[in-house]
Amino acid sequence: MIRTENLTKVYRMGEVEVQALRDVNLEIQDSEFIAIIGPSGSGKSTLLNLIGCLDKPTSGAVFIDGIDTGKLSENGLAEIRREKIGFIFQQFNLIHTLNALENVALPMFFAGMRHETRMERAEELLAKVGLGDRIHHKPSELSGGEQQRMAIARALSNDPEIIIGDEPTGNIDTEAGKVIMDILEGLNREGRTIIVVTHDAEIAARAGRTKRMRDGKVLD
Amino acid sequence: MRDKFLLAFRSIRARRTRSILTVLGIAVGIAAIVSLMSVGYGMEEAITGELTGMADIISVMPGKIMGATYVEMGGFTDRDVKDLQRIGGIKDISAMTYDAVEVEYRNERKPTFVLGGDTKELESFYVEPVGLKEGRWLRENDYKGCVIGDRVANDFFDEVIHVNDKLVINGEKFIVIGAFEKGDMLYANDVDRNIFLTLRAAKEVLQTEEIKHIIVRVYDIDEAEEIAEEIEETINDNHGLDDFATAMTMGSMLEQIGDIFNIIRGVLVGIAAIALIVASIGIMNTMLMSVMERTHEIGVMKAIGAKSRDVLSLFLLESSMVSLVGGVAGCLLGWGVAKGLSFIGSTASGLEIAAIVKPGVLLGGIAVALIVGVLSGFYPARKASKMSPVEAVRYG
Repeated sequence: MIRTENLTKVYRMGEVEVQALRDVNLEIQDSEFIAIIGPSGSGKSTLLNLIGCLDKPTSGAVFIDGIDTGKLSENGLAEIRREKIGFIFQQFNLIHTLNALENVALPMFFAGMRHETRMERAEELLAKVGLGDRIHHKPSELSGGEQQRMAIARALSNDPEIIIGDEPTGNIDTEAGKVIMDILEGLNREGRTIIVVTHDAEIAARAGRTKRMRDGKVLD
Repeated sequence: MRDKFLLAFRSIRARRTRSILTVLGIAVGIAAIVSLMSVGYGMEEAITGELTGMADIISVMPGKIMGATYVEMGGFTDRDVKDLQRIGGIKDISAMTYDAVEVEYRNERKPTFVLGGDTKELESFYVEPVGLKEGRWLRENDYKGCVIGDRVANDFFDEVIHVNDKLVINGEKFIVIGAFEKGDMLYANDVDRNIFLTLRAAKEVLQTEEIKHIIVRVYDIDEAEEIAEEIEETINDNHGLDDFATAMTMGSMLEQIGDIFNIIRGVLVGIAAIALIVASIGIMNTMLMSVMERTHEIGVMKAIGAKSRDVLSLFLLESSMVSLVGGVAGCLLGWGVAKGLSFIGSTASGLEIAAIVKPGVLLGGIAVALIVGVLSGFYPARKASKMSPVEAVRYG
């Protein structure tokens, strides 16, 4: 279970302070599929980054399975990101010097898994997202939709309970976006918690629950 | 570990041009150091080697060295030479005489020098290192023959002098039986402008019994200093003066030359140090650029679970691989440059200089490349590894 408690994030841009999040209290149950929608600048991505342990709150706390992530060291946070969370970005964020197999195997490399195990699992995961015949391709040789599927395979590599997607269909065409949503739905059926930020109402409609954000607050 | 190498190798290869430039920057710096030091060692060895070949020689002159100038006090006599033969440890003694003379060739008259001595001794001193261009060397019974230096043959007179031409020296006729090659740096003064005669002929031409130079060979080099002192005493006694004779061993000459080499080596190391500093700044710059431009990649790695330590070690591995290749390339390049420089140097100076590439210098070069590369990779890599993943991912 994920729970935020009075979560607040303030960015300082020179002299100006920007309140990106104001006292957000949110509970996400295990195996839930939740979509967070809202206009740009409403704080959706900030919330995702805090839940995904990519950033630290100004005040308040994020609990993941009862662990107060604010009390963890840098290395502790890296471990949570590696073991419990799989991240999918709007820009895919694949390593362009590595091929599909190596990109997918990278988080397992950081987890210290054996080379053979990694390669075997990476191949399985790529097959699962429909890229079984693209394992030696570099990201630049694939379409946007295919790159995002590669990113999903990478997010799954350490078998995380939580998948976080920041506008995962924002940079790909509608058809490919539907495929991505199908995959995410499938992952949710496997029992994983899916948290997706989007401003596409059609996609939000496929989630089990939708939360709307505005001006750094989660509306009821 | 194998995968770490593979990852580092991939990212080096992916940025091929920049990696090659970095390797080149390191290689040039290291090559500068390796080649300068090797040429320095080679020069030192060339000159001291030539002199240590003559380490058993004591050179005795009738005069004293005051500062940088030599003041001649007169000449040695046959008695001096006989007395020296009684000193123990001496293998052989060779007496020479020389002086300015007037030479006539085809009605042209020019001043130059005559040098006479034991023909065997002169042969080992001058003919062996310099070589003859024409004719043959003097024998003891070549009473009317002479061998001439290169400038005497080619420059002094309107017409070039060849073997079998006739010269008139201080009114006496001689036949040219040989001519020297041009002498290099060490021999130019001694050989090029001289006319060589047998001792007997020289004494007659110069109308003197005085000996201007005695060369003594000893059996044991370690005794040379001691024997040199004894020689000075013996001759000083004969002439009733305190400092009539100066006997110099090759050892003491080598010491003087050693001082000069310390200065030369200091200058070479100084130049190499500047080259290294320039190379280091270049390396740091490329490493910094390399890490900066990959901030985004670092952010992604951290977002998918890499620890700061993972990122740091990847980047350090990468910079040490680049540095190692640069160091090895630099050593090879430096080796080639040293050989090239010594070839050019030998041709220009006429002195045989073979660059000496010491294994220690090569290992040192590689070590320096690694240290500079890793240190200059460390700062940006550490900076990158400390970035918040959100900031880093947003970058670029």
